Amino acid sequence: MGKKSDVWQGTLALMVLKTLETMGPLHGYGLARRIEQTSGDRLLLNYGTLYPALLKLEQEGYIAAEWGVSDNNRKAKFYRLTRAGHARLRQEAREWEETSNIIARFLAAEKEA
Amino acid sequence: MRKLRTFFLRLGGWWGRAARERQLQDELEAHFQMHVDDNLRAGMAPAQARREAALKFGSVASATEEVRGAWTVGFLETTRQDVAYAVRALRRTPAFTATAVLSVALGIGASVAIFTVADSLLLRPLPYRDPGRLMMIWENNQRRQNAEHNVISPANFRDWKAQNTVFEAMSAFTHGPATLQSGQRVEEVIDQYVTGDVFDLLGVGPVRGRLFTPAEDLPGSPNVALISYRLWQNWFAGDDGAVGRTVTLRGHAATIIGVMPQGFYLRNRDVDVWEALGLDPARDYRKSSGRYLFGIGRLKPGVAEAQAAAQMHTIAARLTAAYPEFDTRWGITLEPFRDSLVRDVKTSMLVLLGAVMLLLAVACANVASLLLARHTARRREMAVRAALGAGRWRVVRQLITESLVLGATGGALGILLARAAVAGLVAMAPQEMSRNASIQVDARIVAFAAALSILSAIVFGLLPSLAASRDDVQQGLRDGARGATSGHGALRNFLVAAEVALSVMLLTGAGLLVRSVAGLEAVKPGLDAANVLTFHVSIPSVRYPKPAQVTQFFERALTELRRLPGVERASAINYLPFHGIASGTHIDIGGRPPARPGDELSSTIRTVMPGYFHTMGIPLVSGRDFTDADNVETTPYRFIVNQAFVAQYLAGQDPLRATVSAHMQLTNPFGEIVGITGDLREGSVDQVPRPTIYYVQSHMASTSMVFVLRTAGAPLTLAEPARRVIRGLDPDLAVADIDTMDRIVRETFARQRFSAFLLTGFSAVALLLAGIGIYGVLAYSVTQRTREFGVRVALGAAPGKIVALVLGKGARLVLAGIAAGLASAMALTGLLKSLLFGVGPHDVVTLAGVPLILGAVALLASWLPARRAARMPPVDALRAE
Repeated sequence: MGKKSDVWQGTLALMVLKTLETMGPLHGYGLARRIEQTSGDRLLLNYGTLYPALLKLEQEGYIAAEWGVSDNNRKAKFYRLTRAGHARLRQEAREWEETSNIIARFLAAEKEA
Repeated sequence: MRKLRTFFLRLGGWWGRAARERQLQDELEAHFQMHVDDNLRAGMAPAQARREAALKFGSVASATEEVRGAWTVGFLETTRQDVAYAVRALRRTPAFTATAVLSVALGIGASVAIFTVADSLLLRPLPYRDPGRLMMIWENNQRRQNAEHNVISPANFRDWKAQNTVFEAMSAFTHGPATLQSGQRVEEVIDQYVTGDVFDLLGVGPVRGRLFTPAEDLPGSPNVALISYRLWQNWFAGDDGAVGRTVTLRGHAATIIGVMPQGFYLRNRDVDVWEALGLDPARDYRKSSGRYLFGIGRLKPGVAEAQAAAQMHTIAARLTAAYPEFDTRWGITLEPFRDSLVRDVKTSMLVLLGAVMLLLAVACANVASLLLARHTARRREMAVRAALGAGRWRVVRQLITESLVLGATGGALGILLARAAVAGLVAMAPQEMSRNASIQVDARIVAFAAALSILSAIVFGLLPSLAASRDDVQQGLRDGARGATSGHGALRNFLVAAEVALSVMLLTGAGLLVRSVAGLEAVKPGLDAANVLTFHVSIPSVRYPKPAQVTQFFERALTELRRLPGVERASAINYLPFHGIASGTHIDIGGRPPARPGDELSSTIRTVMPGYFHTMGIPLVSGRDFTDADNVETTPYRFIVNQAFVAQYLAGQDPLRATVSAHMQLTNPFGEIVGITGDLREGSVDQVPRPTIYYVQSHMASTSMVFVLRTAGAPLTLAEPARRVIRGLDPDLAVADIDTMDRIVRETFARQRFSAFLLTGFSAVALLLAGIGIYGVLAYSVTQRTREFGVRVALGAAPGKIVALVLGKGARLVLAGIAAGLASAMALTGLLKSLLFGVGPHDVVTLAGVPLILGAVALLASWLPARRAARMPPVDALRAE
């Protein structure tokens, strides 16, 4: 098991959007947990940092929030993806793939040399 | 796009902080609890479960701070903090805050009140199309004094209109009282007689009905009238059926053809009815009439005033050549319309505006000096803030915010003050000022006040803040530790000296005006104005067609009025003295050849009933008064003249043997002078009295007379009985303009009194502020020097010595301020010249008195801190700190 990585700047938003797309509405704690699980516990996420990111996404209109009740009957704020959020997710995912493709090519080229 | 959305959301985040805060806490709390629950389920001990959850979360403080930061715009947030902090800081020092806010409120309140009045007189657009091109057209007489703006002759008016190429349109108008009757209601209203085209010239149309047709502006046309919006509302409750209704106007039936818009007026806001002037194209007005119309013209686009004046001068010269007997020495004066409305008032207004600006400056200096002291006392706090990493601008911003809070509070209070003051001002203002203005505090004025408050706050806040922020941090911390020993002393001294100087300027102006008013009031008006009731009655010539009937009516009225209990004497005159207009015309002296054109003698002409002079307390110098026997049409003409007439025209001959004739009627037989009366100081009391001829009513019957009743007690208590007498004689008559002679005479110099009163008020406030300023500086310096004084006393200095030390410091400030103030005042009082009477702008009494008054105030303000310094037990003083 390798060293855990810190979450890179800017990628947290993408992870939030993608998680909400796959999981449907989730509260902050659920989101944090899910992101950790998805990363195979290889990400080191300070749960606290999630909330400013959520507020920013909400203000930008990509996600919406409303109060609801969690599985174990706790009042919690649930976040869900908006239509703008879906579009944004597709665009970000495409850009991310593009970037990683380019980086992958560079890394491959380096081996050849 | 998304950025914008975020920005507005954040702007909105300004509100509802408390709810958001609660929700955030709830959300984080839920998060934590869920995490702990999970951990417990995973088998952890409760303590460990909580610890693990807290660890995973990281810093709660930094997360919440970051979220809060994103709620709203950073700038707004720091501003909110600054404001909240400023309010808290100001609350902690209520004495300082109250003084500062009150200073600002007085300064702003006075400024806004005066600005409101000035605005409606000088700035507010007139209710006409393109009013900048409107010109009043006057005649002027080169031989007479103060005849630059004489009313005009109908004949000349017609010729100007025909010959000029510089005016797009030219109209004429005049006005007079008229009795209006509709149903049971009878009142005297002001009727304006206008050439039919005047409304087109002004660019104003009726809100109901129509304007005059050209045919209606000819003599002999049916009587039609336009009414004011006010009359329409008051008399007809705004009923559309008012148009087309027939009323009785001046005894004739007249049809209402239209209603003018609300607020429309032409030079006189009291006008309620307009009728067509109906100049007769066939009549030679130079033969039959004098000058009695007001002329107005609209300049053609692109024609400058000077260009128009040049052409009108040429026309005037041409007319003088063509009609030497009528137009010799008569020229034309053009005057921009607005200037003509505010001609005399403008100076007063500008002086008052200047005065309130001075007052505001005193207030600002006062607050600035208070703030400096405050900042000095808070040096340590500032130093701590700076040491903790607050940038210089952050500190300045904090201090400026404090000033802005002071300014805004003071400004808001000032607007309230101004609202109250404006009502008082209008009630007190001379009629010439209030008549032409609709004065009220509206949104524009509030905006002005807000701008002024912010500007003032910056003026009084910036300097002290910059000075405070420039302090060295280490110095501040160290100074603070042992109590500040110095701090912006020079700047404060300067501010206080400036306050004194500004106060001196205000006081000097007030002193000059007060002395002028005292001088004006000391001038004997030439009559006994106390306990005289006056009211106006005009009788319709339709129902009283013969002069004998007119005379008879007024005789009967006087007989009845004299019987009223409380009436000592009663009489009547056609134009009341001290009350605007009177007729005037050329006269001939018996036995002398007729004067050459342009050299005619002229005189004011008035018609009186017998007993007038006795009733008014105007002395008969020689000869006798008119008697009832004179007041019969068949008697030969007899006249009474005033002393000025004798002095100017009958020097060197026995006036009681002279005969005179005035060009008033179709035939003007010479009549002997039977009496000579004292002069009245009319119009402006500093002017030479005008020669006057008095006719007796029967020889120039006037259907419009002002009754004068000398009463035993308060004149106005007889108003109602007098009204009943008149209505008893003829129920269709209106009694108008009920007033006391006393008030009418005083109104003559209302302008000076108004200015003097206000300037005195402003000076008193300025004095108070300067006193506070002086007191503040000295009290502060005494506190600073407590230890020094203690040492001095301990070493044997007498208390007197200490008092002298403190007073000396005060005296230096005050003397410097007085010197600067007197110098500026001497330079500025020349602007008051037209308001002064009996004193020069450099009146020695005033210039010497002002420093005395200020000195007294300064002494009082210095005495309190000086006494405190001297009385302090030296032990306490040494132990201080």
